[in-house]
Amino acid sequence: MKKVVVIIGAFLIFTSCEDVVDVDLPETEPRLIVDGLLRVNKSQEFIDVRIAMRETSNFFEDNPPTQVESAVIAYGIPNEFGEFDSLAFSSLAEEEPGTGIYVPDPNFSSDQRIRTQSAEPGTVFILQISHRDKSYFARTEYASTVPIDNLEQGDDTLFNEDETEVIVTITDNPDHTNFYVFDFGFGNFQALDDRFFMGQQFAFSYFYDNELEPGQQIRVSILGADQDFHNYIDLLVEQTMNNGGVFETPVATVRGNVFDVTELDNIDIFDNVERPNDYALGYFAVVQEFSSNLIIQ
Amino acid sequence: MPNRHFVLSLGLLLFGVFAQAQQKFTLSGTISEANSNETLIGVTIAFPELKTGVTTNEYGFYSITLPEGEYTLVVSYLGFQDIRETINLNSNIKRDFNLLEEAEELEEVVVTDDVERLDIRKPQMSVNTMAVQTIKQIPVVLGEADVIKSLLLLPGVSNAGEASSGFNVRGGAADQNLILLDEATVFNTSHLFGFFSVFNPDAIKDVKLFKGGIPARYGGRVSSVLEIFQKEGNSKDFKVNGGIGAVASRLLLEGPIQKDRTAFLVGGRASYAHLFLPLFDVDNKAYFYDLNAKINHKINDRNNIFLSGYFGRDLFSISDRFVNTYGNAVGNFRWNHLFSDRLFSNLSIIYSDYYYGLELDFVGFEWDSGIQNFNLKYDLKHYINDKLQLNYGLNNTYYVFNPGRIKPNSPDSGIVEEQITKKYANENAIYIDIEHQITENLSMQYGLRASQFNRLGQDEFYVYENNNPVEFDPFTLVYQEATPIDTINPGRGGTLKKFFNLEPRISASYNFKGKSSIKASYTRLAQYLHLLSNTSSPTPLDVWTPSGPFVDPQLLDQFAVGYFRNIKDGDYSFETEAFYKDIQNRIDYIDGANLIANKAIERVILNGEARAYGLEFLIRKNEGRLTGWLAYTWSKSEQRTPPRDLRALGIDTGRSDLETGINQGQWYSTPYDKRHDLSVYASYNLNKKWNFNANFIYQTGQPTNYPVGQFEFEGLTAPYYGLRNKERLPDYHRLDVSAILTPKRNERKKVKSEWVFSIYNLYSRRNAASINFRENEDTGRNEAIRTSIFGIIPAVTYNFRF
Repeated sequence: MKKVVVIIGAFLIFTSCEDVVDVDLPETEPRLIVDGLLRVNKSQEFIDVRIAMRETSNFFEDNPPTQVESAVIAYGIPNEFGEFDSLAFSSLAEEEPGTGIYVPDPNFSSDQRIRTQSAEPGTVFILQISHRDKSYFARTEYASTVPIDNLEQGDDTLFNEDETEVIVTITDNPDHTNFYVFDFGFGNFQALDDRFFMGQQFAFSYFYDNELEPGQQIRVSILGADQDFHNYIDLLVEQTMNNGGVFETPVATVRGNVFDVTELDNIDIFDNVERPNDYALGYFAVVQEFSSNLIIQ
Repeated sequence: MPNRHFVLSLGLLLFGVFAQAQQKFTLSGTISEANSNETLIGVTIAFPELKTGVTTNEYGFYSITLPEGEYTLVVSYLGFQDIRETINLNSNIKRDFNLLEEAEELEEVVVTDDVERLDIRKPQMSVNTMAVQTIKQIPVVLGEADVIKSLLLLPGVSNAGEASSGFNVRGGAADQNLILLDEATVFNTSHLFGFFSVFNPDAIKDVKLFKGGIPARYGGRVSSVLEIFQKEGNSKDFKVNGGIGAVASRLLLEGPIQKDRTAFLVGGRASYAHLFLPLFDVDNKAYFYDLNAKINHKINDRNNIFLSGYFGRDLFSISDRFVNTYGNAVGNFRWNHLFSDRLFSNLSIIYSDYYYGLELDFVGFEWDSGIQNFNLKYDLKHYINDKLQLNYGLNNTYYVFNPGRIKPNSPDSGIVEEQITKKYANENAIYIDIEHQITENLSMQYGLRASQFNRLGQDEFYVYENNNPVEFDPFTLVYQEATPIDTINPGRGGTLKKFFNLEPRISASYNFKGKSSIKASYTRLAQYLHLLSNTSSPTPLDVWTPSGPFVDPQLLDQFAVGYFRNIKDGDYSFETEAFYKDIQNRIDYIDGANLIANKAIERVILNGEARAYGLEFLIRKNEGRLTGWLAYTWSKSEQRTPPRDLRALGIDTGRSDLETGINQGQWYSTPYDKRHDLSVYASYNLNKKWNFNANFIYQTGQPTNYPVGQFEFEGLTAPYYGLRNKERLPDYHRLDVSAILTPKRNERKKVKSEWVFSIYNLYSRRNAASINFRENEDTGRNEAIRTSIFGIIPAVTYNFRF
């Protein structure tokens, strides 16, 4: 075998590039959005009830606030048949006109605030809304959670040097399957279930995309979640992160637990199957929250 | 009942043939390349006086039985010199032929290959062959000759884009292609997430793609069969060939261990590390390699054995915190045995394995998944006479599916080790396939495959209320995973569910004076495996899952008709085909389905259906300095998942449609639906030194989704959508060129070399791989961002052989 001498000149111009293009988007009717995540801090006397009502508009524009005709939260513990022997009510009113933020009505004849002690495992919260001649309904069960054991900054990065790593440690409750939602601030959420660390102390890293400034304080919260809320956040994060491409999962409208009951008379119409396009966006959940703060080094 | 009629008429046809027996003798043998003894596939042995002939099979064997007499026979294989001789057939004769390459002798180099030529008479339709020489000439990205990317230039074949793995045939999904490498099933054909394919072009002998009219000897995938045979090794001389390219280098060694009897072949291909270095500014690696090793041994005139192995891996890592390895491993043993000069047999014992591994250091776990199979098959080819050939055989495959195993990557990781229950299955098939020339003008190929699939027991199996693993909320209109009510442990000895399918295949060809023909075919195929893939094209992480109690096998019915014509003695050919196909039980995923590490995948999938239809045109120029083809396909590919009939599950809703189905039960375009697909390939031989090639591709943009609006929840802004795949990306087109320089050879030197200069995407079209939407950080407004993968890419490859 003779020696092969090869001189090779190869050019490798690897050009994966992005640019802004004009796209015509399909038009659609405005839709109600209910931003109704109630975080329960057990050390406080009352639950901080603040529900934002907005409407969708063109994709390229922000969601304008909207006013609802009525919004009421009912809560109680159902009996073994799933029925409520008694229900408590909290009627909501717009905090400042035009904001679309609804809080327990301060002008009501009685105190409409909800005590944190009423939020116990098993308590069911029901939200009923009337908006533009339509009725909406959501039902959720209070979800408790475990505290954050430790929060510290790491010094690794994953995809680029600008990332900031934080390491969160929690101890899973070993009794049953648990779901968690982490709020890292700045619209960064992460859903987690305990399937692979049941009953263990578990540490994981989260990477902020943009480098945070030294001295900046961040707040990380752990939120309780039932499976539905966990799935909702998981899907929402996925759809928010979805930047197209062949490896992405199919896009989907993330449907929450607030649904349209306008036509549901339980005489002729028992469900929404015949009108799949009538729905509200957003979610109503009442969950326990623990938070930790960290100052970025 | 129709099946019984079919068997009956089959018997009648056979009887008719046997009845006319008379004094006949058999001519049989093997046809090889003279300098290497490499057997040649598809060589024609024609008997002009009788207007009959035969072609060599996958192992170079031929056999033909004719009445006693003296005949002229012509052995021809384009690119090789014809052999013409007179033979006196007065006894059974065994005759091997060695063909010499034409280029060795002739002044003018004619680079055409017989295998791509149109066979007017054969009933086989919807089949495309591609010569290895053509694959090496077609300009491709970064100059890395690629089987799969070359196939995309054929009518009816497309893929989901530049960085996507697999290919789609006639509107079928990528997991519906049966890919056979030396008879062994290959589960993943891509390197580097689809930029390149796993086949080393130097090691390949023959490539054949069946898009329809699939003969009964194949089964298990509903869309197509891609059959690739690799070289067996040169049993005359020691040879080396290789190449150095912009992406990878190749080296292939072959030679005799015992001259004319035992030969080996060892090949390797490896890419350079850090291929994607420019993509991220952190330490990363991305590379792949392939190894091929083969030995063949001729025991005697009646027995040949072959041992071969393939091993390929991809490695992709980002700063050691994310490490990803995957690839195929295939080992097989084959034994060719001649029972008589008319009965050829091949026994294959095959092990094939696909492995996927992932380590995520920042979460503290390692993950692996994969599929293994053990395949035993026995195929016989029975050459009854010049009008009739029977192919029959049996096939057994045992599968082990590993949906995933997770384990901690270090002692201080909080991860608990878990093996997601492995699944097991056994697939059996027997078939008979008859190639029958009924009259001079009419020939048929018909057969039947009986397949049986046995989903074996496993350690843990969930039981659901009403046997329904997917629940539907009729208020929020969301499909949800049901909660199991019990777990049973059937064990591997038992059976969870059995399926049996009869798959008739029939195709017919009627030819007019041997110049043109009309062909028609019907194919039924069953596919028992499903690739769980929720993305536009498969990813290496996708896992295969067997049919079982909740997932039914995919069943295809395909009808095709075509018109075929050779013009000017085959200098040009024209073919057109129309097809319609319908697939039952195509699985679809509920919104937000999590397919990875899902313990019970039945909770996120529903059985839907798919259909595709289209029209294909192919015009080829086969002779002269300028050769090439123009292919155009019009097609439509859709799927839907209508509401289930809950009453069938025993759920009494008082109504039958208490569900919406996926996408509101409506038909939607599959991600690989391309309405128009045009490819032109041309190759021009200027002289012995220079060869020029070009291809142009135009395709309708891929279906996609654009948001109809957005909503805010807790500071997260998410888009929302209307019905699926209503929009399309901009049309795709590009032009690639290459020039091949073969420097004049110094007679004293044995090294032959060539330079391949190529430019991919010559006019640097920014084809959209995707269009997505995000907020502009400066203006706070949403904007549409187009991502395009390859701009203009020049490359140089150096190939050598000695």
